[in-house]
Amino acid sequence: MTFTDFIFFAFSALLLASAMGVITARNPVHSALFLVLSFFSCSALWLLLEAEFLAIALVLVYVGAVMVLFLFIVMMLDINLVQMREGFVRYLPVGVFFALCLVGIMIWVVGDFSAGVFEVPTLQQAVQHGADYSNTKALGRVIYTDYVLPFEIAAVILLVAIIAAIILTMRRREMTKYQTPSKQVMVKRNDRLRIVKMEATVEESE
Amino acid sequence: MTLDALNYIVALPEIFLLSMTCVVLVVDVSLRDAQRNASYVLAQLSLLGTFLLLLSGMTDARIYAFNDMFVQDGMADLLKLFVVAIVAVVFVYSRDYLKGRSIFKGEYYLLGLFATLGMMLMISSASLLMLYLGLELLSLCLYAMVALHRDNGNASEAAMKYFVLGAIASGMLLYGMSILYGLSGSLMLVDIAHAVTQTGSTDIGMVFALVFVLVALMFKLGAVPFHMWVPDVYQGSPTAVTVFLSTAPKLAGFAIIMRLLVEALGGLHTDWQQMLVILAVLSMAIGNIVAIAQANIKRMLAYSTISHVGFIILGILAASAEGYASAMFYTIAYALMSLGGFGIIMLLARSGFEADQLDDFKGLNQRSPWFAFMMLILMFSMAGVPPTLGFWAKLAVLKSIIHIDMVWLAGVAVFFSIIGVFYYLRIIKLMYFDKQQDNTPLQCSTDMQFVLSGNALLILALGLYPTSLMVLCVSVFT
Amino acid sequence: MMISLSSYLILGAILFAISIAGIFLNRKNVVVLLMCIELMLLAANINFVAFSHYLNDLAGQVFVFFILTVAAAEAAIGLAILVVLFRNRRTIDVEQLNEMKG
Repeated sequence: MTFTDFIFFAFSALLLASAMGVITARNPVHSALFLVLSFFSCSALWLLLEAEFLAIALVLVYVGAVMVLFLFIVMMLDINLVQMREGFVRYLPVGVFFALCLVGIMIWVVGDFSAGVFEVPTLQQAVQHGADYSNTKALGRVIYTDYVLPFEIAAVILLVAIIAAIILTMRRREMTKYQTPSKQVMVKRNDRLRIVKMEATVEESE
Repeated sequence: MTLDALNYIVALPEIFLLSMTCVVLVVDVSLRDAQRNASYVLAQLSLLGTFLLLLSGMTDARIYAFNDMFVQDGMADLLKLFVVAIVAVVFVYSRDYLKGRSIFKGEYYLLGLFATLGMMLMISSASLLMLYLGLELLSLCLYAMVALHRDNGNASEAAMKYFVLGAIASGMLLYGMSILYGLSGSLMLVDIAHAVTQTGSTDIGMVFALVFVLVALMFKLGAVPFHMWVPDVYQGSPTAVTVFLSTAPKLAGFAIIMRLLVEALGGLHTDWQQMLVILAVLSMAIGNIVAIAQANIKRMLAYSTISHVGFIILGILAASAEGYASAMFYTIAYALMSLGGFGIIMLLARSGFEADQLDDFKGLNQRSPWFAFMMLILMFSMAGVPPTLGFWAKLAVLKSIIHIDMVWLAGVAVFFSIIGVFYYLRIIKLMYFDKQQDNTPLQCSTDMQFVLSGNALLILALGLYPTSLMVLCVSVFT
Repeated sequence: MMISLSSYLILGAILFAISIAGIFLNRKNVVVLLMCIELMLLAANINFVAFSHYLNDLAGQVFVFFILTVAAAEAAIGLAILVVLFRNRRTIDVEQLNEMKG
């Protein structure tokens, strides 16, 4: 067993264990944290596959932004945890049975057991790149040239996400009181102070 | 690499639409609520410009652009023209409805235009990547549009269901695409088709990928048993959004099936044919039978959509040029009928009143004989009564099925269509023979009345002269 | 290198099955449901990256790059809808979302 084998099996085990954690954890916060762990172990596996840029993007974009969003929402919503657990046991047999069937079929197809699949000669020999090979450079070169149309559409999709998130959640509360600093600064003496001329009155003593 | 090598001029309509949408976005931000009509007019102008550009760029040849990721062919031209025209009509119908519900905002038009762009890209995609991105652009816009009426509990519930099931379907699609990529070593549909012919139709890996892709596509299209979201989403969304998502996206859905199943996986047609037979029969059965039990007309039309999807699948599973042409004819006919049907619901609706119950149609003939007649045409067409467009669409699909010696399947289709006639006729009975309950006169703008009448009369006219549209559909597959 | 393509594909397959099981089990909590969908996308991504490496073809990695982008946008919209839903219904329980029936 070489060192890369060890890395592969260690992080695969971690990935599957944390994925199980995501679906079985009692508390959604724990689920979210397990999901962070699975993304992290997955990015380690991608490093093994020489996809350095994506491995780092997974940690930065997913763990750094998307999962923080998830955690934020979980904590913002006031969720009744006890009630959320009902039905878990009820669906457990069906879920496990279905998953086992699925995994059986899928492994039979994608694994080594079935004959013929994935034995295309070009497939099995991966090219090991040297230390001077930059995955980021190679990706950047094709994304801005060959894949310029998908790149533009991805930008549009992000724009749509911004618009949608804003229209769905932003609301102007009528009760909120605002301060406008520019108006506060521009205030003149006459806006606040009024001098009234009055006749001097003398209070007469009794 | 130079800019000209991209051949970007082929995608001029899309580029124009995107630029105009950005203009609408910027203009809309600076408008006050009283000036929203400007966003509407700008949105319509963008669609008009796109339509004209599409019309002027029509070609019989198959032209690739953007490194073979974007393709223009006869099918793409025809479908895009209909998509753009239908979206424009949807915008006309929905204006009064949105105004009556304080959701007359620029966002509806923005998301609608972005969704149109997504549909056009889906229709023109020649690579898995473009298919996925176009589909997601469309889906994300639709999820947000369903939830647009954010103070309405039913709308947000519908949006959540739509989102969760749509996202699961996308996950399935991606998994299937990843296997396709692994087996063919390329994301291009042409290369995948080549790999399929090399490995043959018995390759277990290809069939495995096909199952995932097919399930995802049927989820998106709403075929039984993947239809759970359709009734809830149709009922829960504001009618202005229901009419959007029940019309143009079906054309894009047809295109994506043609690109993936026929162009890329055409070599596996013996495999997908069997799967589609089951889905088509189930869709026609469940759709037509459950629709009878509905009291909400939007929900009833949702089940009717499911049954129409069954018919579209029938045409595709014939796996012949005739079958594809008939399926395309049926999809266009369905989109036009659905457009009119939901248009009538929006015509009857007013501020604080949805008109989505069947009882709201009682005695429509006394209130407005003209629109009762329009609804009569639409319902006859959906039921497949001659001489309307729906009849010819059903006939074309049945013919193509009989030509591949599946007479029993045609028999099943006819049987369920006859069951379906019942609930369409019930609406006609309510309109003409029941006492009216609601005396409020119809209140909507003249342009909507004009377009809606045109919509219904077009269905009648195309029913009387079906050859013109049929010839167009056949010509793109020969 | 000992690790074969199949090992990665089996890993992706198991992860996909776990996410499907999670969707079955967590019928109550929409947030966890969304996390299961993220796991499903991760399974597809593992397949793409593995194929890309063994085919020595960058297209797979480019696809994953776009999937990550889209998934981030999708998560943003999904969570926004969730917040709107919670404001209207005070629950994120899937089984209580049954106002519409028929």
